[in-house]
Amino acid sequence: MRTEDTPEVGAPTNISPDAEVVIAIKGLCKSFGEKKVLQGFDLTVRRGESVMVLGKSGSGKSVLIKCIVGLLTPEAGSISVLGEDMLALDQDALDRIRVKIGFLFQSSALYDSMTVRENLEFPLRRHWIAQEGSDSEALVMEALENVGLENTIDMYPSELSGGMRRRIGLARTLILKPEIVLYDEPTTGLDPITGKEIVELILRLQKKYGTSSVIISHDLNVAKLAANRIAVLMDGRNHAEGSYEELYAMDDPQVKPFFIFM
Amino acid sequence: MLVEVGEISHFTGRFFREAFRPRFEWRELVRQSFLNGYLSLPLVAITAFIMGLVLTIQSRPTLADFGAETMLPAMVSISIVREIGPVITALICAGRIGSSMGAELGSMKVTEQIDAMEVSGTNPFKYLVVTRVWSTILMLPLLVVLADAIAIWACYIGVNIKGSVSWSLFHQQVFDSLVFSDVLPALTKSIFFGLAIGIVGCYKGVTTEKGTEGVGRAAHSAVVLASLLIFILDLVAVQITEILGLN
Repeated sequence: MRTEDTPEVGAPTNISPDAEVVIAIKGLCKSFGEKKVLQGFDLTVRRGESVMVLGKSGSGKSVLIKCIVGLLTPEAGSISVLGEDMLALDQDALDRIRVKIGFLFQSSALYDSMTVRENLEFPLRRHWIAQEGSDSEALVMEALENVGLENTIDMYPSELSGGMRRRIGLARTLILKPEIVLYDEPTTGLDPITGKEIVELILRLQKKYGTSSVIISHDLNVAKLAANRIAVLMDGRNHAEGSYEELYAMDDPQVKPFFIFM
Repeated sequence: MLVEVGEISHFTGRFFREAFRPRFEWRELVRQSFLNGYLSLPLVAITAFIMGLVLTIQSRPTLADFGAETMLPAMVSISIVREIGPVITALICAGRIGSSMGAELGSMKVTEQIDAMEVSGTNPFKYLVVTRVWSTILMLPLLVVLADAIAIWACYIGVNIKGSVSWSLFHQQVFDSLVFSDVLPALTKSIFFGLAIGIVGCYKGVTTEKGTEGVGRAAHSAVVLASLLIFILDLVAVQITEILGLN
């Protein structure tokens, strides 16, 4: 990805400090056996904001977003999403709030026994009540038009390239028009050009639907293009936080290495 | 080993808790019944035919030595209905369905498809496990009935290779020898065989770890464990029918 390029789109910049808090994480702790992954992590995301969690591989970034959406249960701390205490919800309430949270997996996680159409219809069929009155075919086509892949509708995931799978994954994530989207390494494994296209697509759709985002990545190009704010996750805690420029200007010996190739 | 027994028991308990609670995934249940039942028909049918024919041909000399050749249809049909039909069908299904469930769910697990289903607000246990286990519970008895019918028909062909028995006489000999207490325990145990195949296949699939290597291991161990469970359940069923005086 050429960082000197000016992106056609950018992260929304007019986030008011008084905007509604959509995600509030306090003192999050999660361990796997003896290995302590998160040790008191804090994060706040406001409506419309795009926050990136930056960290080395294995630092616990994916664990963090899996805790946010309830795929993993932390040992301590609190997670509030859209005003709901995620750790206190029963299964039905958790399923209801998950409809408002989109999750783009690193592997795209498309259902490989289903065509692209069936992959996109799946969340619609599951939550048909929420979509009552809507035409599923039109919603599927709209989602595919958003990612520019209308011609793949009857293809299986195995027939798609990595970048196309990521786009279809994004279309499926956004088809229920979630209020919050969690992106797990959205550009990992993609070539720089496709990676940049994916980031620009994320930004365009974020503006179109007004979503708030948490982006997990170690790719600073993503941070530069897509994030209002960056939280550096190190040793299970927020080591530093600020805008791209603020972090770039820091003399912190643990933050500096992230910018070594920038 | 003990830990795994405990985990499978817990998994089975969860199946029974979720199996009778809405929401019911009818569409997926029909799809799984088609995949696990209808698509198993050719293999079950061919095996049942060969089984009936071979059993008849191999039993004839022994019965002939005792001058009891006319007992051949009765002996073969009782063997098939009570024991061989349910066990062989269940073993075929353990191989075909158990491995397919282990591999499919294992692959879904390692590629995060099960997580994707969960974060989209769908209960993956209900959608993936309950439907699959119900489908094997429902399909196994039907496959066993079909296998029994084909094997008995093959027995008729086997009887007529070296003799001449009319269909009506053969039919009468078979159904005079079979009683309700031959059929009921066999069908009852086939329901439990279906439960074992579904539970083991799904358990091995959803607990898959360590990538593609784990998927292969899940498929393989699902077949081995399901087959072992079928023999254990068969032994238990024999003891119960003995105690109940149904032998």
